Amino acid sequence: MSFESFSSASLLAAFIVYNLAFLVFVLSILGKRWSRRDPSAHTRRWGWFAFLLAAAGFVCHLLFFFTRWYGSGHIPTSNMYEFMTFLAMMIMFAFIIVYLIYRIPVIGVFALPVAVIIIAYASVFPSEAQPLIPALQSYWLKIHVTTAAAGEAFFAVGFAGGLMHLLRTVEYKSDSRKAKREQQGVEFTLFVIVMIIAFVASTFLFHASGYEARFSTQITQTDKAGNEQTVDQTTDYVLPPIVKPHGSTIVSMKPFLGIDKPLFEAPAWMNGVNAGRKLNTVIWSVILGLVLYAVLRLVARRRLGEAIQPILNGMDPEDLDEISYRAIAIGYPVFTLGALIFAMIWASEAWGRFWGWDPKEVWALITWLFYAAYLHLRLSRGWQGKPSSWMSVIGFLVVMFTLIGVNLVIAGLHSYAGV
Amino acid sequence: MGRNRKWIQTAILLAIVIVGAVTLAGGLFKGNEPPKVGARAPDFSLSGLDGKTHRLSDFRGKLVILNFWGTFCPPCKAEMPDLEAAYRKWQGDDVVILGVNLNESHVTVSSFVDQLGITFPILLDSQDEIRKKYGVMNFPTTFFIGRDGVIAVKQEGQMEPGFIEQNIKNLLGKGQP
Amino acid sequence: MRIENTKCECGHQNYAGTVLCESCGKPLYDDHGSEPLEMRYDGVARRSQRGNPTWLDRIWNFFSSVKIAIYLILITLAASVLGTVYPQENTFINLDPSTYYKQTYGTTGEIYYLLGLSHTFDSWWYRLLLFMIGTSLVICSLDRVLPLYRALNKQQIRKHPGFLSRQKVTLTCDIAEPGDQTSQEQWVQTMASVLRKRHYRVHTDGTALMAEKYRFSRWGPYINHIGLIIFLLAALARSIPGWHMDQYMGFIEGQTLKIPNTPYYLKNEKFTVDFYKPEEMSDKFRQRDLIVPKMYETQAVLYQCTSRCGTADPVLKEVARHPIRVNDPLNYHGFMAYQFDYKETPRLISVTPSLRNKQTGEVYGSIELDMNNPQKSYQAGPYRLELKSYFPDFGLDEHGQPMTKSNEPKAPAFIFTITGPGMEKGQPYLYFPRMIDKDTYRQDDVNGAVGQLLDLSVGSMEGVKIAQYTSYLNIRVDKALPYIWFGAAVSMIGLVMGFYWQHRRVWLRVDDGKLLLGAHTNKNWFGLRKEVAAALGKAGIEADPKTLETGRKTL
Repeated sequence: MSFESFSSASLLAAFIVYNLAFLVFVLSILGKRWSRRDPSAHTRRWGWFAFLLAAAGFVCHLLFFFTRWYGSGHIPTSNMYEFMTFLAMMIMFAFIIVYLIYRIPVIGVFALPVAVIIIAYASVFPSEAQPLIPALQSYWLKIHVTTAAAGEAFFAVGFAGGLMHLLRTVEYKSDSRKAKREQQGVEFTLFVIVMIIAFVASTFLFHASGYEARFSTQITQTDKAGNEQTVDQTTDYVLPPIVKPHGSTIVSMKPFLGIDKPLFEAPAWMNGVNAGRKLNTVIWSVILGLVLYAVLRLVARRRLGEAIQPILNGMDPEDLDEISYRAIAIGYPVFTLGALIFAMIWASEAWGRFWGWDPKEVWALITWLFYAAYLHLRLSRGWQGKPSSWMSVIGFLVVMFTLIGVNLVIAGLHSYAGV
Repeated sequence: MGRNRKWIQTAILLAIVIVGAVTLAGGLFKGNEPPKVGARAPDFSLSGLDGKTHRLSDFRGKLVILNFWGTFCPPCKAEMPDLEAAYRKWQGDDVVILGVNLNESHVTVSSFVDQLGITFPILLDSQDEIRKKYGVMNFPTTFFIGRDGVIAVKQEGQMEPGFIEQNIKNLLGKGQP
Repeated sequence: MRIENTKCECGHQNYAGTVLCESCGKPLYDDHGSEPLEMRYDGVARRSQRGNPTWLDRIWNFFSSVKIAIYLILITLAASVLGTVYPQENTFINLDPSTYYKQTYGTTGEIYYLLGLSHTFDSWWYRLLLFMIGTSLVICSLDRVLPLYRALNKQQIRKHPGFLSRQKVTLTCDIAEPGDQTSQEQWVQTMASVLRKRHYRVHTDGTALMAEKYRFSRWGPYINHIGLIIFLLAALARSIPGWHMDQYMGFIEGQTLKIPNTPYYLKNEKFTVDFYKPEEMSDKFRQRDLIVPKMYETQAVLYQCTSRCGTADPVLKEVARHPIRVNDPLNYHGFMAYQFDYKETPRLISVTPSLRNKQTGEVYGSIELDMNNPQKSYQAGPYRLELKSYFPDFGLDEHGQPMTKSNEPKAPAFIFTITGPGMEKGQPYLYFPRMIDKDTYRQDDVNGAVGQLLDLSVGSMEGVKIAQYTSYLNIRVDKALPYIWFGAAVSMIGLVMGFYWQHRRVWLRVDDGKLLLGAHTNKNWFGLRKEVAAALGKAGIEADPKTLETGRKTL
């Protein structure tokens, strides 16, 4: 068995074990009702078992990482697939640390799905270990990317803690304006998460089933010498095209649900290379998100936040608030070191300037400023509790945008990914 | 003790104000930006076709027409005779025309200049340094620099003789040193 | 100065604005309340809280406010987001900003440009924001760190009961008989040794005790701020003339160029590029038929000009030599040249044709013609060739006259005047190094009689020098860089100090057999409660961490 196939198998094993651990964590909390034992003993026992599963999954994940490293000859953090799986690994690492400090199984219910979703999303990206272009050949790459991911992992745990706190403290029985706004906010956050899950699941399934569609657009390019050239640019779709790129022709398209032609064409002002495909992805995400959300609402027969809240009963809200804050406080120096300082060192070495206001660099700064504001706001009594939890949720969105949005939406020196 | 504190406070705030001024100044006055109309024409020194070194500041006090050109640029060639005519006419009135050639070989430039009978100084920007300094992207580009060293007019593209004449007259009329 | 009654009942005179007595900790206001005490800065008076502000004080107070600092951070954050919406001007090499945004992005692009957002990070208001953050850093820190240092330096062991019972972690219980002084003191000693084992520095005073650890962690945020201030000042220092330069230059192989605004000249001696071989790439990459560079390098030589600088023939002295690769720049006393990019730009550098007698076959000699700046006269055997005209990119204008279409040697043409045996009066001779031009413009016909006699041509490719590549280097000077790293390092140290340790203090006193304990930390109350409960447990008192905390909202 080659290193590459062994590492893929390890990742698959980790993925499955993480899912099992998640289920056992849920069981440890919900199963209290049916257990013959004393509830807290039940939770402790099953919680510990779930934690061991999570740790075992983490070991498999580490195996994936190191065998891939050995097999390809360079640290596996150089493309979107590798980086995302690494981030998931770091999130598990942060989770393990926070769990060992606080020993609260509920954290597992929220932290494990984050890791699982990220691995699933990563699998959509091309996974081939690629040869590195000269700009990436430096050991500072390893140091910068791994440290930044470690910091972001703690922010992810902080996000999980913040979300838990909100779910615990939002009053679903109350009718006051404030309570209503909070309920809507929580529901919207859950909807966004549902949308992401729907997007990831659908992309994964379509990709796995081998779906593809291809379009070709004629682009006129002017090169540095001033010569104009018309080239054919092809765009590959993983999801069935509802929207095709503006001014393009179909090269090939597998039919979906009996439809073999795109329904619309992207508007003329969307003339970026991948604008049509991205619009299609967004449309799919929203549609599937709405569908999945509707299904979940029907099953739960009430708002999703209300349905999840019982899991958190019995948790001290101030403890949840503290978990969230503590995770961010641990992660902030790591993030500063990795995403800013090591990034500056690497940029200075590779491109001769430590800071160039590149969109990715600016968004790392934005993330840093956001969490700085968060930490300073915590000094003020009125800001602890719910406002702080909201900030930890939004902060993680900022982190995700920095990782995904900048790469895919905004161009710059940093865009190494291919999706 | 209280008064000491006040002095320290004042000193700190003063230091901050100075730093603030430097911050804003650094943003507003960038040395590397190409000069615009109304700005001082940056000084430079270049070798001429005659083999001697010429500086822009040598001509301070005179009206300088700085023309960036090349033999591969048809409009540049077309306006050359007009520039030469203007030079001969206004030379006595402290008007000088400097033709800055864009990185062509000595032979190419001298044969062209001889062919057309150009008498105003021709400078060779062999390192492409002055073109960059003046932010010249299109050819021909001409700067009319007043006696005070300030850029009065920047013209991109071929100039009509009337245009050259008008600007010379305007600039001689005003801006006494 | 306004007189205020700030003398505590313990006899200590406090500054106006002090919240908790500097000596015994008794709350000076709100002394009959039951809410947990405001322990920030240990209750010491801060500069900005004193009464009767002058205009100087007002400015000081403005910048020492954390609220203002947070606003500044958030505004900077928002501005930065705007600066990423469209590509910034500093990424353009040849585009004109005044038209680019409108053309590419329409109306929103035009608005973006007009608002100055196309150079957000370079704008005066963004710099002003950073400056204000820097000011806030200075003043916030000074305002707080000095009083805090004073307060933490002189701490009392025996605290006022009101102080202890209103700490966020507190415990009141009976531990001994009221009259039994010895067992009370003994218990205090036991507690002291338990706390010492947990790395506390303990001071006792009979039946009172003060334990403290990791005080250094309090200085963390201030050290972080100092680091950031140094960082910002270093970034600002780059606008000092001579401290910062950043430009891109393309060097054709063999070419030496002057670096503007410096006495340096740099030569690209040779450029090499290695591509990944098909075997080294994965299947998918091979399918895409891409050419991926593995490594490219410029063999560069740096010269310094000693005299006649800026002229056509300066005197140069070699000072450095280095193979420049992407992460491996040339570095000479702070002058840096980084490998940025390259392009395949085949270009004629020079030709070395031989002058030959067409009829006898005799070769008279060869001359080297530089395409960039050819000499004016050459000697080939008995013949003298004077170069009259040179057209790098030969063409005929609308009048049918020779001209050059550009200044690049794409189709070079030389017009000589040849004098020598058989032609005492100089004869014109047109020479095209490239065969295709020679045929197109019918060189032999044009040269007439001379063309029948003499032939100037290159025998083989050996006589032709071509440069294959242009190497793009990024030339930089950045004197402020060491200070940038220093500031960043200091900032990191401060962050680590502040976040990975917490300052914990435990005070207790036993009066009449009753224990009164209070504890405080700046972060991580969870850990403090656990530790105090564990310590109490070791000293014989059962306490649950949860019950130690006052002021908690109930479940």
